[in-house]
Amino acid sequence: MLATILKSVVRQIRRHPLYVGLNVFGLALGIGVFLTLALLVRYEYGFNAGLPDGDRLARVDAHWTLPGVAPGEYASSSFHALPFMLQDFPEIEAAVRLRGTGLRVVRDGAFVALDSYQTDPSFFRVFGLKLLHGVADRALAQPDGLVLSDRAAIRLFGTTDVMGRVVPLNRGGVTVNHVVTGVLASRTTPDFLSGVELLAPIPSSELGFSCFVSWGSDCGSVYLKLRRPGDIAALNARMRDFVIRHAAGADNDANAIGQHPEKVFGLSLMPLREARFRDFHVLYADDGVDRAVIDGIGLMGVLALALACANAVNLATARAGLRAREVAIRKTLGAARRVLFVQFMGEAMLLAACAGVLGLVLCEMLVPALASLTGEALAVRYGLVGGLLPLIVIVCGFASGVYPAMVLSGYRPAAVLAATRMPSGGRGAARLRDGLVAGQFGIAVTIVICMLVINHQTAFMRSADPGYTRAGLLIGSAMPGGDLAAQRRLLDALRTVPGVAAASFGELAPSPDNKTRSTYRYDGPAGPVRVHLLQDTVSTRYFDVYRPRLLAGRWFDAARGQDDLPLPAEQASHTVSAILNRVAVSRFGFASPDAAIGKGLDTDGLHARIIGVIDDVRFESPRQAIYPEIMFFDTLAKRPLMEPIPAVRFEGVVPSEMARRLNRAWVGVLPDAAGEFSAVDVKMAAYYTGDERRGRIFTLGAAAALLIACLGLYGLAAFAAARRMHEVGIRKTLGATGRQVVVLLLADFLRPVALACVLACPVAWMLMRRWLAGFDERIALTPAHFLIAVAGAFAIAILTVLGQTFHLARAEPARALRAE
Amino acid sequence: MLIDLSHIQRLYRSDEVETTALLDIELGIESGEFVAIMGPSGCGKSTLLNILGTIDRPTGGSYQFGGQELTALGEAALAAFRRENLGYVFQSFNLIDELTIEENIELALIYRRMPRAERRERVAHAMDHVGIAHRARHYPSQLSGGQQQRAAIARAIVGAPRLILADEPTGNLDTENGAQVMDILQRLNDEGATIVMVTHSPSHADLAKRRVDMLDGQIVISVRNAI
Repeated sequence: MLATILKSVVRQIRRHPLYVGLNVFGLALGIGVFLTLALLVRYEYGFNAGLPDGDRLARVDAHWTLPGVAPGEYASSSFHALPFMLQDFPEIEAAVRLRGTGLRVVRDGAFVALDSYQTDPSFFRVFGLKLLHGVADRALAQPDGLVLSDRAAIRLFGTTDVMGRVVPLNRGGVTVNHVVTGVLASRTTPDFLSGVELLAPIPSSELGFSCFVSWGSDCGSVYLKLRRPGDIAALNARMRDFVIRHAAGADNDANAIGQHPEKVFGLSLMPLREARFRDFHVLYADDGVDRAVIDGIGLMGVLALALACANAVNLATARAGLRAREVAIRKTLGAARRVLFVQFMGEAMLLAACAGVLGLVLCEMLVPALASLTGEALAVRYGLVGGLLPLIVIVCGFASGVYPAMVLSGYRPAAVLAATRMPSGGRGAARLRDGLVAGQFGIAVTIVICMLVINHQTAFMRSADPGYTRAGLLIGSAMPGGDLAAQRRLLDALRTVPGVAAASFGELAPSPDNKTRSTYRYDGPAGPVRVHLLQDTVSTRYFDVYRPRLLAGRWFDAARGQDDLPLPAEQASHTVSAILNRVAVSRFGFASPDAAIGKGLDTDGLHARIIGVIDDVRFESPRQAIYPEIMFFDTLAKRPLMEPIPAVRFEGVVPSEMARRLNRAWVGVLPDAAGEFSAVDVKMAAYYTGDERRGRIFTLGAAAALLIACLGLYGLAAFAAARRMHEVGIRKTLGATGRQVVVLLLADFLRPVALACVLACPVAWMLMRRWLAGFDERIALTPAHFLIAVAGAFAIAILTVLGQTFHLARAEPARALRAE
Repeated sequence: MLIDLSHIQRLYRSDEVETTALLDIELGIESGEFVAIMGPSGCGKSTLLNILGTIDRPTGGSYQFGGQELTALGEAALAAFRRENLGYVFQSFNLIDELTIEENIELALIYRRMPRAERRERVAHAMDHVGIAHRARHYPSQLSGGQQQRAAIARAIVGAPRLILADEPTGNLDTENGAQVMDILQRLNDEGATIVMVTHSPSHADLAKRRVDMLDGQIVISVRNAI
């Protein structure tokens, strides 16, 4: 039987290379796309799963419910909580603090930026990561110790054999020598620590920072290793009492969160195995991915496979009629239906196996492309592929073979041999074929609409008005510390650089690292209104640099003494001028920006008067709602700003050259501190790249889905060209013109495509409405997205069948009547 | 004269072989004639009929229909000519499986862009004429061979063509159904239709007014039957 099947397949390849080629290539494309996307989905679902004892690891998240802003979960929490946790919860086996830093390695007089963290010696006890060199328990025990990743070691020294080598580390303009005490080994499975290049101990000099001593401040994350996986849920249930016990304090206790901290503050444990998807809704979490999008990508893979199977069914049923005589003769010669069924199923399986091998080759080609599209360390993992591929081949072989095999083996020989025309499987098979084409195009059109909307939204985010003028603006690194003289010198130096139109400082800038927030009170006519405000203090010329839109009142004026922020000791006796953003105005309940002008706001020891309102300025992710914000003014006459970020408006110079000039000016003032100017788009890139990458995956999926659907349609058109030749002969004999025949055939071919569009549009509308709801600023879902996709589907379908249609329509009637 | 064929020639060329299907055909047919073409298989009967029906083009000679030279016409003009002037009856009926009998008959009128009401009236009349009105909503596969051929005749006459071409119309029918079809064709001829019929049956050929015998692509005899 095997030999018969093999022989039959070989002969089919020889006699009908187009049919076999379409069948195998279509199936291979579906399998290749499915395997590739399955690897991506597996990668995302397996994130953090490779960490030893991953089911016992959790991150401590903070929850804030603050006046005037939506409640939020934060991936960072106060380090102050950790000693109390260790004391209260014996379930904790080990704990570690992890803090991203602005550490730079000083190498040959230049600063090398590495993905660096400060942490505790317990890091390796918690995460269980392997060291290539060094001893895990001692690697971070000494204050000047340092752990490099193997990649970072090679980058710095060209080798991983770097134990004991001295690495000068610069932070905030101060350089300290560290000694390499460990080299981290690379891991094959992805986790949130995959990008870590440098680990250094938390310096004792920083233990007095507010995030180490105050409940309301944070500067990193706390990770726990519990004794049992179930302890995570158990501790979560006890966190409210924990907060009440430890975070409560008198109203004037700056390190506590008031007498009832549980009303505004909470803590919870985020299991690391679940963090990849749950972090999508957690603030300050870097690795969060929308699970719905990943599931959508997975679904796209399954649909690509389903499309390919539908193709195979379509082509096989279409071809079945052409094999009717063969079946009839075999049956006449004594072949049983069961034998024929097995033969046809065997042929389908063999073709599916060929497609499987080809699909694997496609997968090998697609995975590197997808890895560069997504920026993830994707690779073909034969453990997964080896398990999936045989299963896929069997499923595809069965799905594509069973119906045609049943139809073929069921032909009655006498009827087939007596007929002048080949059987087509009747109206039922025709309906099945039309239904499958409609399904295929329906899926393809849905994916195309999603792709158009995702790419449009991504482009919109990139180009949306952020509330300030991005072109001609360069942002520098945060200036270390609060040295007033240095700040004045840097600003003066920047302003003298040729090409600079204006230079200024702000404590906030695009993609800010440090944020200060406080609750402000407005005593309105209906009683006090409290709103938690993000605080920014800016220096002179800020308005000229960022060019925000003033909605009411006026901007800060250096000539007006009351605008300049007084020294902290004098604040209580002054009224400070302040500017709000539009969101803050609405949260305080002012009827309009104008209505806010002149009103007073109070916070601890500070009374502010609103002198102006600006439009909302977006410095962070377009997915996040704009935070209500208050701005103060500092002329640098009396007091410094805290770690100010320089920004420069320039003219007549290309951005790259301007950045070079500004970097030189920085080095002239701050030779010991790393600093770099870059464009706003570069600073904000991290907020967009995830969506852009996923947009590219959808583009890839849409192209694959359309290609597979078109292969199917082309196959059917080719079949129709063979089968309907006779009909065309009759129609032309009765007087039909070539144009009329073209119109008739196109209408027949495009009918299922039209049905597909009708079905696809509402589905895509629902999917995309839900997806867009996740953005604070989003495009409107307009008919244009749908019309473009539908027009595109029709255009591609017409191009696909046009050749066959013209071939048919041009047939000479006499010859066409002789067909079949 | 309705039809005037002069020096008609039809060659089929392939890479290596040239086959002569028709050679120097001279044939004139008057309006109202019933001509039967006979001859052995491969003598060129069907090719001649196809050329008369303009669904095949001669490689030489002249074909005039009602004084109009057809050999110079383009594809679209020939399609228009067929719509207005010709009706076909084939041996294998050539009904479209996916259309009902009524729709099959209507097809020729649709291509003429005739208003729907007039189409329906003519279709009903044609079906009555051949006795298949009760099968209007059936599909071809649901009809017997005789019924299918009567439907094909209805389709051929529904447009009131000036010429009906029948290619072995009884070839796939039993004697009784074959006789019924010949009765209909004779009746149509009596009503004034011009008919050219290819047949293998001498008895059916004898029912025509003129008999043309062909051999090896040429007309060898053309005689009027004594009726």
